[in-house]
Amino acid sequence: MKNKLMHLSNETMNVGFVKKVEALSGSSVRRCFQCGKCSAGCPMSAFMEHPPNRIVRLLQLGQGQRVLAGRSIWYCASCETCTTRCPNKVDLAAIMDALRKLSWDADGPSKESYVQLANRLFIENIRTYGRQYELRLGAAFNMKSGQFLKDLMLGPKLISKGKLKMFHSKNKNIGEIEAIFKRIEEMRKKGEAL
Amino acid sequence: MTPGKKRLNYSYYPGCSLHASGREYDISTRALFKALNVGLKEVPDWFCCGATPAHNVDELLSLSLCAKNLSLAEQVEGDLAVACAACFSRLKTTQHHLKEDEERRKQVETAIAGPAALDKPVKHILEILAREFGLSKLEESVKKPLLGLKVASYYGCLLTRPPEVPELDDCEDPSIMEDILRALGAEPVQWSHRMECCGANFTLSRPGVVLKLSNAILESARRAGADCIMVACPLCHGNLDIRQKEIKDAYGAPDSTLFGNIFGSELQQGASSDQRDLPVFYITQLAALAMGVPSGNLGFESVITDPKPLLREKQLL
Repeated sequence: MKNKLMHLSNETMNVGFVKKVEALSGSSVRRCFQCGKCSAGCPMSAFMEHPPNRIVRLLQLGQGQRVLAGRSIWYCASCETCTTRCPNKVDLAAIMDALRKLSWDADGPSKESYVQLANRLFIENIRTYGRQYELRLGAAFNMKSGQFLKDLMLGPKLISKGKLKMFHSKNKNIGEIEAIFKRIEEMRKKGEAL
Repeated sequence: MTPGKKRLNYSYYPGCSLHASGREYDISTRALFKALNVGLKEVPDWFCCGATPAHNVDELLSLSLCAKNLSLAEQVEGDLAVACAACFSRLKTTQHHLKEDEERRKQVETAIAGPAALDKPVKHILEILAREFGLSKLEESVKKPLLGLKVASYYGCLLTRPPEVPELDDCEDPSIMEDILRALGAEPVQWSHRMECCGANFTLSRPGVVLKLSNAILESARRAGADCIMVACPLCHGNLDIRQKEIKDAYGAPDSTLFGNIFGSELQQGASSDQRDLPVFYITQLAALAMGVPSGNLGFESVITDPKPLLREKQLL
């Protein structure tokens, strides 16, 4: 973000976005008093440009776009340390989930597309096979991320150890999964679910 | 349950990893339960629980997948036994959320076109071993105590967090794994990183992150004098076992930077000259070994960091 100065006004504060985050996560961002305990315990904060407590502060100031433009939300490992330790019961892990969903819905503008890609392929696998097909997950990830050689030495080793199956069969009741995906899409279209 | 009389019986949700990269966890769980004469019956046609990726971007989908699995589990008698920490966390979280949030429950029930079965108790196998089967009975069943084996119990993230969901043990200072180890005759070591995250599913998208975090965990275990690490999660196992050689390659060289020279090796994560391999065991492998299950039935052939030299040295093979 080029403009580091933050001018707060009705125009620059997106309160609607914050309300969406609160509705999706079921957690208030206003309860946070910036003690920093979440960031102190976060194993991933070293990789983030905005550590968890700053994410909440930015949300309190209506700066959703700044949050989504950065990589922080894609470096959260969902380990729940922040939520567990928060003295004010801010469910930061759920807030991170909500932010990722909003970024996902907007198809970006996250810089961390590798993490998004991995999530997308994982969910695609569930829809197609019912269960994870790890070999396809790894191979598709490498193809689509352009890292053709990533973990190349690991693959054959895992196959020879029986850890990666070459072939995968679909669940017998796979139609039920497709129906769940369809119904959720339908509910969202009708505005019955966020 | 009438004490001492009725045989314990569980329905079983293995989860995707246990049918693939974590196959030895599945094999050893079945072997252990058989040795303890505890029934285990797999839920037919279960689906992926969605793990972290699903709730990361679509909570409703994640809750619906788990609710569907819970209703499939209703077909099989007995409390639901889960071995994978992530599956366990997702199934318990779903029950917890849907019981508290009426509106969410209705949405999920629309999505799965049926009632959400929220009352079947979901239990991690640690809980089953330590509480339901019981530590004293476990100790009595030991045929080959794991004497002299120094084990670092690694809890990772989701077994105990957030506190109101798994109800497995204290979320900052758990002891259930150490208790089980003592019952098996092994020696749990005290160490600093037993609750630190290993990087979990970044293993696909950001392996560099996993190497850094897992290196810190392995280093901590080595410094505490552990012979090996014990886990109860296939992702933790994957990161610590499968990537151990890579971690050594990345962090193995003694640190020669100015920072490293001034502050010594203590502050530097990659500065240890001690580069022992640390075999990573599933809880069920160690427990089954202590119950006298032949080592050929425990999936050791699928492990990357070979545990056999250590087991031979301790005369456990």
